[in-house]
Order: sequence, then structure tokens, then C-alpha cells
Amino acid sequence: MQGNDLAIDVRGITKRYEEHVAVRDLSLQVPRGSVYGLLGPNGAGKTTTIRMLLDIIKPDAGSIAIFGRPSTESGLLNRVGYLPEERGLYRKMQVRRVLRFLAELKGVKPAEADKRIDEWLQRFGLTTKEKDWGNSKIDELSRGMQQKVQFIATLLHDPELVILDEPFSGLDPINAQALKDAVVELKRRGHTVIFSTHVMENAERMCDAVCIIARGEKVLDGLVTEVRTSSGRRNVALALAVDSGTLAARENGVGHVLSDPRLVKRFDDNNRYFEIELAPGADAQELLHKLIEAGARIERFELVLPSLHQIFIERVGATGVETGMSGHG
Amino acid sequence: MDKFWVVAKREYLERVRSRWFVVMTLFVPVLITATFLVPAWVAAKAASGTAAHNIVILDATGTGLGQRVADILMRDTAAAAPARRAAAAEPGPQVREMTQAQLAAAEDSTTREVMKPNSVVGYLVLDDSTLSTRRIRYAGRNASSIVDMDKVRSAVRQAFTGVMLQREGVKPETISLISNLSLNMSQTRIDERGKGGSGQAAIFLGVGIGVLLLMSIVFHGQNVLRGVLEEKSTRVAEVVISSVKPEILLAGKVAGAGAVGLTQQVLWIAISAYLLTNFAPIVLRSAGAPIANGSSAAIGISFGGLTIGLFIAVILYFLFGFVFYASLLAAAGSMVNSEQDAQQAAMPVMYLLIGSWLFVNSVIVNPTGTTAKVLSWLPFSSPIIMPMRMGLSPVPWLSVAGSLAVCALGCVLAVWLAARIYRVGMLMYGKKPSLAEVAKWVRYA
Repeated sequence: MQGNDLAIDVRGITKRYEEHVAVRDLSLQVPRGSVYGLLGPNGAGKTTTIRMLLDIIKPDAGSIAIFGRPSTESGLLNRVGYLPEERGLYRKMQVRRVLRFLAELKGVKPAEADKRIDEWLQRFGLTTKEKDWGNSKIDELSRGMQQKVQFIATLLHDPELVILDEPFSGLDPINAQALKDAVVELKRRGHTVIFSTHVMENAERMCDAVCIIARGEKVLDGLVTEVRTSSGRRNVALALAVDSGTLAARENGVGHVLSDPRLVKRFDDNNRYFEIELAPGADAQELLHKLIEAGARIERFELVLPSLHQIFIERVGATGVETGMSGHG
Repeated sequence: MDKFWVVAKREYLERVRSRWFVVMTLFVPVLITATFLVPAWVAAKAASGTAAHNIVILDATGTGLGQRVADILMRDTAAAAPARRAAAAEPGPQVREMTQAQLAAAEDSTTREVMKPNSVVGYLVLDDSTLSTRRIRYAGRNASSIVDMDKVRSAVRQAFTGVMLQREGVKPETISLISNLSLNMSQTRIDERGKGGSGQAAIFLGVGIGVLLLMSIVFHGQNVLRGVLEEKSTRVAEVVISSVKPEILLAGKVAGAGAVGLTQQVLWIAISAYLLTNFAPIVLRSAGAPIANGSSAAIGISFGGLTIGLFIAVILYFLFGFVFYASLLAAAGSMVNSEQDAQQAAMPVMYLLIGSWLFVNSVIVNPTGTTAKVLSWLPFSSPIIMPMRMGLSPVPWLSVAGSLAVCALGCVLAVWLAARIYRVGMLMYGKKPSLAEVAKWVRYA
């Protein structure tokens, strides 16, 4: 990929703290116009990486380029929007004034900022016929509304690159949906979105590409489809009906089939369905046949790519989550 | 630079809009006006509100002493409050001359008279032995009024002198001249440039400037500290720092808060001046003071010592002192996470400031002494001590310029140090850092 096709080009950055290395020799390339997931357990170095991208902290080694220019270049960060993991705004300030202040800090002219603020407040239902929350102090807003205001602050200057740190944490389903829609819309308009998360389902649903990091180091990265096919494996998603028959006997039979090492390497009981990894050389048809023989009433039998979750668990493992490194990822 | 203005503008507007700012801006001038006007009002009231003229003088001396006392009392009251005397047309003291034998009965009847409301307030007894024993008696409702009793005593003393001089054969005109003698002393300060201003006003001005500077620096400096702490504890700091360099954020905050301080001081001076010039005559007239003297002269204030040069110096020293202390306090605020810890972290900085104030007495006593000179060169004490010294006694302009230069250098150092602590501190949560850790921030930031 050419340098100017990349929204972000990180080469070998390292950040050491006194007791540990937060990020070690990390390189990653984020193509323009993509939705990129930075995945990792708590304490993996996600927030440290993001802060280095935003020039909030300086890497001890390595280089960071944003839109092909060094990240320390003045004015460059005006094109970037940031939603930190720990959210908060000036509590005693009026919503409109907070938003105008943050927009002005990104180089938006006050008049233009006011226009956009009105549009966004309307879009997020913060100005209605009965009440204009824009004139209320942040203090007077509910938590959900504060999250909306914070999100507006991130996008108000129409950034080409949006960096969201654990954006879904603490969001109710409605706000989470609104956030997801906003990310999709940004992508449609050709903007680049990077978000960090430790919830793999979100990443799998939304990301074009991901980078999994653990203990400050990159475990793997690439397009989501590539990551999922690169294992060279195919999995079976199996869902059983639970409406009739002697449940225990049938499950015993199914259990017997699933624990056959010639067919199944491992399986993961998700309660509603099993995610089954076939043994090398095993045939899915044979598995299906055996299951029916065992008396299973099958609702779903689907060949699938391994989920990000499964790859994550497999590659990062239990040791990836080190104790004593929690706090900021 | 644009972002610096955005930060400073927010800081300024949010503070000026706050209820506290409005309350303090209005309250302090009222307080200043009250501290000037209340004592003046009390003094004027005491002068005119005296009842010493509304008494009965029982004179059994047979020398006309009673009439002399009455005349003197009338004259004093008239001098103190001509307006009120004319308006009320109150009677003067009533002199009742009698023999020693009639005295006891007269005392009884006058006592009953005093007990009636809206009547005379008391009586003075001058018996036939008064001239030899120098004993007089007074009884009345105002017997515990220090002012009234002073007036009566001094009137009798003057009348005594008159009677005794008359006995010595002194001419009546001379006696009248002596008893009407009044003194008016003015105090004038002399310095290298000659005479100027009054000595009292200089001390007043010097201390006033010192207090104003100290209070402003402490008050607005603490505001900066709280502001930094708020940004940190609400976590808004991270969003802001992703848009603007911490150094610029710090500089903008200090500049904005400093501008608030200047605004407030200008408003304080303007509102106080307005209140004093407009309310002083009204208040003093209501107390019955003579109208002609109801201006600021009567209140004893004179801004004569406040020259343009001193005014500019005060502004400059405020700005430098504020930048010095506010940036250090901002750094203290960035190191911690709670109000209690913040006060503790601010302690060393506050010690510098309060420590300078402890020497104020020796500066007032000897504004040209070594202590005063040394303190007006050190960057942490000069913003308070130097303007104070300038109010007390003249300081060569070269010294002022030199001290300002040292102060500016101190500011640069303080801002540099503060910015390094602030940069690391703003994103540091968890336990309070030790001094060694902070030193490490400064080295590696």
C-alpha cells in the first residue's frame, strides 16, 4: 500500500514505563476509508497506542504518520476526532458552549460551529419542541445525553479520521445503535474510523480490518475476512432443537459425537449453539451424519469461518491477560 | 496561537459569567465603601448627635462660671453641626444661678425634670466650693456617653481657665482669644523629591496595594488550581489535550484567569470610587455633618499618592506575580486528583507567598531597609513587596525596572517548570506522586 493511501502508518513504536513496557515495537497500517478495530484484553496497550497516535504522549521509539505526515505536525490533529475511554465534559458549562469550545479548538469558526451544533443536537434528539437541552448545563443532562454530547464533540469538526477508545462501554442499546449507525455513515462518506474494543462481536460486525494486541505486542493484523480464513480452518455452527424427546439421552449421544477426536478438534458451547472446530481431515458431512444417527434434531448446521472471538482466545490465550497491567489498555 | 486564545476566552467568559464573580465584584466595593463611610458616619454622628448642649447648669459659684460653660458648649455644638442646629433650633444649656442653700432642692426638682421624656438630658452642679476643690458633678441620661462627658469636662476646664485668668486681671478680649484657640495640624511627608502627600495616606496606600495584590493572587491563583483539578477529575482534559498542546492549554488558562483578575480589580476600583463620591455626602449629611466637609476630604482618603507610574507598576507586578503563582498552582493541581490533595500540593507554593507577607511589617516600618530591598528583588516576593514599597516611599525607577526584569525571568522559569509537571500530571491518575516522581516528570517530560 502507498503511504498516502494510509490514514495511519505506525512503524515500530515502543512506550516504556518504569515497571513495564506498555507498547513494544508495534507497527500497524490503517487504510483510508476503512473501519479498523484495535482489539486486545484490558491492559494490552490499546489506550497507550491511541494516545501516541494523538500525540498526547510521545513514543520512546518508532514513527507515526497520519495521512502521510508526521503526527506532531501542527494542525494535523484538527483532522482527527477523538472519543476517549474515560468520558467527561465541563460540568458547569452549557452544552452549546462546551461544543463550540471544543470545535473552536479544532479550528472551526464559531459561526460554522453554531450551525453544526444545531444540526447535531437535532439529530440526536437533544433539541425538541418542549426542551432545548443545548442551553442546559452538562450537569443537568442524563448520562445517556452526556454520552451523546461527547459523541457530537468528537464529530463536530467533521474529522477525516475518527479514533474511538472503547466506544461501546457504558452505552445503552439505543445509544450503541446510534453509534454504530454513525460509524457506518462515516465509512460511507469515505472517512476512516479506528476503534478499540475487547468485545469481539462488535469488531466482527463492524470492522474491515483489525489488529489484535496483547501485552503491548501485535499478535496478528489484517482484513477481518483474511484473519478468519488465514487459519485454514472451517468451523461448524450447530444449533439443536430443544422441544421434545429425552433431552439428556440425546445430549449424551451428541456429546459422544462431539468428543470424538477423529471428527472434532474442540468445541465451544455457546448455550444457543455450538461452535465446532473440525479435526484435521475430518469431513463435515460425516459429522452431520453421526449427529443425526445420535438422534439430534438439528435446527442449524452451517459451515462458518472461525469467529474473531475464537481466534482471539486461541491466539492470545489466558496468559494474554496479565494481572497487574490493568488500568489503561 | 489561535488555540491559546480559544482556551483563554473560555476561561475568561466562564469565570466572568459565574455567580461568584458577580457577587464578589459587587460585594467588595460595598465593603470598601463601608469601611470608609461607617467610621466617618460614626464620627460625624458623635459630633452632631451630642446632647451636651441640652442640659441644665446649676451654678452656685456666684462667679458666672455656669454661663461661661454654657457659652462654650453652645459654640462647640454650633461648630460641629451648624445645619442641624439651625434646623432643630434647639435651646442651649439652661443656666440657673442660685445660692448654695437652694442647691439641694434644685437638684431634686431637676432630677424629676430629667426623668420626663423629651426634656433636658442632665444637669451639671457647680457648687460654691467648686473653684477651690475643682470638683464638679454631673447627673443625666447621657452620663455614660464618653463624647458628651468629654465635652462637658473640657467646657468646664475652659470656663475655669477663663475665671482664673479674669481673677488675675487679664483683659476679657485676651481670655476670649485664649478660650477660642483651636489647633489644626496637617502631616506632610518629605522625601528625596521634596514634600508630597500625607504620611498617613502613604502607609494606607502601601498597605492597601499589598493587601489587594496578595488577595488577588491567592484568590485567582486558587481558581486556576481548581479549574485544572476540574478538567482532570471530569476527564475532559484528555479531549482537550488531543486538540491543543498542554503548554498552550496551561498558558491559556493562566492568561484567561489573569484577565478575570484584572477585570475584577478595575471594576472594584471604579465601583468603589463611584460609591464613595456619590454616597459619602448623603451618608455624612444624614449623620448631621457639615455639608461643606462631606466630601472625600472628610473621610480621610486621598489618592494623591497614586501616580500613573505606580499604577502601571501595580498592574505589571500583578501580572507577573499572578503568572508566577498561578502556573505553579496549576502544576500542583495537575499532580493530584482530589481537593484535599490539591491543597496539600499547593502548600509549598502558598508558603512562598504567605512567607513574603510575614515581612510586611518590617517593610512598613522601614521601607528603605535591607529586608525591604532584598524582598523587592526576589521574584516570589517582589510582586507584593515592591509595589508596597513604592506606595510607602519613592523607589528609583531603575530598581523597579530591574526587579521587574528579575520577576519576568522568574515567570519564565515557573511556567517552564509548571508546563513539564502539567504535561505528565494531567494524564496521571491514581496515587499522589512523591516529590522524587515529580522531579522525574520534570526531567523526562
